[in-house]
Amino acid sequence: MAWITKNSGGMKIETRQEPYLTPAMRDTLSRNILPRYETKHGALLPTLHTIQHEYGWIPHQAMMEIAAFLDIAPSQVVDTASFYEEYWLRPKGRHTISVCRSLACEFCGQPELTEAIKKKLGIDVGETTEDGEFTLIEVECLGSCDSAPVALIDESLHEWLKPDNFLAKIDEARKHGAHGHH
Amino acid sequence: MPHPSNLTQGILTKRIPCWPFADPKGRHIVGWDEYTATGGHVGLRKALALKPDEVTEEVKKSQLRGRGGAGFPCGLKWTFLPKVTIDASGKESNAGQRYLAVNADESEPCTFKDRLLMDFDPHLLLEGIAICCYACRIPTAYIFIRGEYHHQAKVLEKALAEAYAKGLFGKQGLLGGSMTGKGESFAVDCYVHRGAGAYICGEETGLLEALEGKRGWPRIKPPFPAIKGLFGKPTIINNVETLSHLPSIIENGADWFCKQGVTSTIGGPPSFGTKLMGVSGHVNRPGVYECELGIPLRTLVESKDYCQGMRGGKKFKGAIAGGISMGVLGPDQFDAEMDFDIGRKYNVLGLGTACPTVFDEDTDMVAVARNIARFFKHESCGQCTPCREGSGWLYQLMSRIEGGEAKTKDLDLALEVATSMGSMPGTTICGLADGNNWAIRTIINKFRDEFEKRVKPTFVPVKMTVGAGARG
Ligand SMILES: Cc1cc2nc3c(=O)[nH]c(=O)nc-3n(C[C@H](O)[C@H](O)[C@H](O)COP(=O)(O)O)c2cc1C
Ligand code: SF4
Ligand code: FES
Repeated sequence: MAWITKNSGGMKIETRQEPYLTPAMRDTLSRNILPRYETKHGALLPTLHTIQHEYGWIPHQAMMEIAAFLDIAPSQVVDTASFYEEYWLRPKGRHTISVCRSLACEFCGQPELTEAIKKKLGIDVGETTEDGEFTLIEVECLGSCDSAPVALIDESLHEWLKPDNFLAKIDEARKHGAHGHH
Repeated sequence: MPHPSNLTQGILTKRIPCWPFADPKGRHIVGWDEYTATGGHVGLRKALALKPDEVTEEVKKSQLRGRGGAGFPCGLKWTFLPKVTIDASGKESNAGQRYLAVNADESEPCTFKDRLLMDFDPHLLLEGIAICCYACRIPTAYIFIRGEYHHQAKVLEKALAEAYAKGLFGKQGLLGGSMTGKGESFAVDCYVHRGAGAYICGEETGLLEALEGKRGWPRIKPPFPAIKGLFGKPTIINNVETLSHLPSIIENGADWFCKQGVTSTIGGPPSFGTKLMGVSGHVNRPGVYECELGIPLRTLVESKDYCQGMRGGKKFKGAIAGGISMGVLGPDQFDAEMDFDIGRKYNVLGLGTACPTVFDEDTDMVAVARNIARFFKHESCGQCTPCREGSGWLYQLMSRIEGGEAKTKDLDLALEVATSMGSMPGTTICGLADGNNWAIRTIINKFRDEFEKRVKPTFVPVKMTVGAGARG
């Protein structure tokens, strides 16, 4: 069994005492990022990236904190956060496997690759393994079509993939255990 | 007829080994010192000695056309910015806040050329940015890079840190506060802004929305960004490859640039210069090649200098012209010249990004159409009804045809839906819908028999006249 991690279908609303947007983050953002933009709203993408990177997803409470921090309405934060695919509104696995499904990759062996990963992890595309280690998604062209098929494990690109060489990479990622949130 | 190439080394890829000039195994990130030691910043120094309008004039004269897909003349675009007044002594009025948005979104499927430049020679792009900012009197530039380019964003951040440390950017003025043809130094700030996974942010006004922290919904034009762009200020949007051409154009002059490439054979504007062509698909040696515009696709695929033939000795069946939005070239269009005439001559939307994906004889073109239709359905931002609904319909129709459940009339329905959507029929805000239209329409038209084999015939009732009008 796996839990479904698709981005659609609303977001999880829960709160905690501790802020997600920590004083250190506020400080870095205020000093380095906010001055780059004419409006505070302009710093919204970098701010969301900070949260996404730290926690692997963007909790509802974090969006409320960001709204207050940037002086914009919470709905504006939700609007932007829900539009972009790199922001996860629900928790996902420690590692994300993003397989390119666009044209060059599909016609150079991607379908077999996706099937092999699904079988190895026992999950479908859009799901997370029971142990919370891996989330599998398919994405559009990763700009590496000459070495198709390709996939990302977290932020690292893997090229010229064949099912067996990629499955070994997945084992490696599991061993290294470091969380690869982004 | 093979294209007679005068190139003996890369221009954009001078420091990035590429076939046929050098083995890509020697690629590495070129840092500041190596960049300056190999002729870097000569173009910028030359530009700063000129007046801003003289730089713009040189770029106009080169007839450099945008490398981001639309092929709009770069120098001409710059002249759409509001004019500054220059008094008798040559002193300019302050142009005020303006922006440069560098389009490094590169999300068009089958396109991977800007990435090469950012991967290995980031200072070339930064020099191009500096030249553009000076010519256009722009104090602030953002490099909008797609979210998935994690590594490239890091390379750029590092190069920017170097460039600031060495005084290229920052408040002292370009190149350590060098005196310019304006009679004073000119300061530019440059930042990396990471996208977050949305193809539509490559569209120039969608990109501006994303820079403002909003969802990437393209804006209705006019007003054009050169008048009212980022944060409501005059804004220039240029592609990474376009900007990377500027240093060599200014260094060597427009006349030199116009010696590469070809003039139009159909009375259109010329296709001067070299172009990065990223070839993928069923060829022996896929990769990025820097070629003069005008090289025939066949040469690119078959020449031992480039792709070294079709994989497994198979026959050529077709190719994406340059990013999937441009549509496909059919089996009889293998000799198409890769230049800006290609749209009118070979019935595709245009040259696009000049990154062809090549298909061999075994490729299922119905599956190709389904893959493309799914992409557009997924990436339509949804604000225009013909695009939102049409892209969904096209995906359903293509899936149905692929699954063998469609009828002949569905083919005509698909063509009708495709033709009705796009900024060219005037039903949508941005060009995404045009891309969807052209891709699906050209595949169906150029591979019609393959589609017809997959659909069930529609029985059309034979025309009968009954009743009073019937003749006995
Ligand atoms: C849907 C859509 C996506 C686009 N994506 C990109 C892109 O990823 N990169 C790019 O440079 N231009 C892209 N463009 C073209 C830009 O709108 C714009 O024409 C270009 O960045 C201008 O720069 P140039 O004149 O230097 O080519 C896209 C256009 C559309 C309609
Ligand atoms: S044409 Fe499509 S992608 Fe472009 S603005 Fe309209 S709905 Fe959005
Ligand atoms: S199609 Fe997969 S990387 Fe471009």
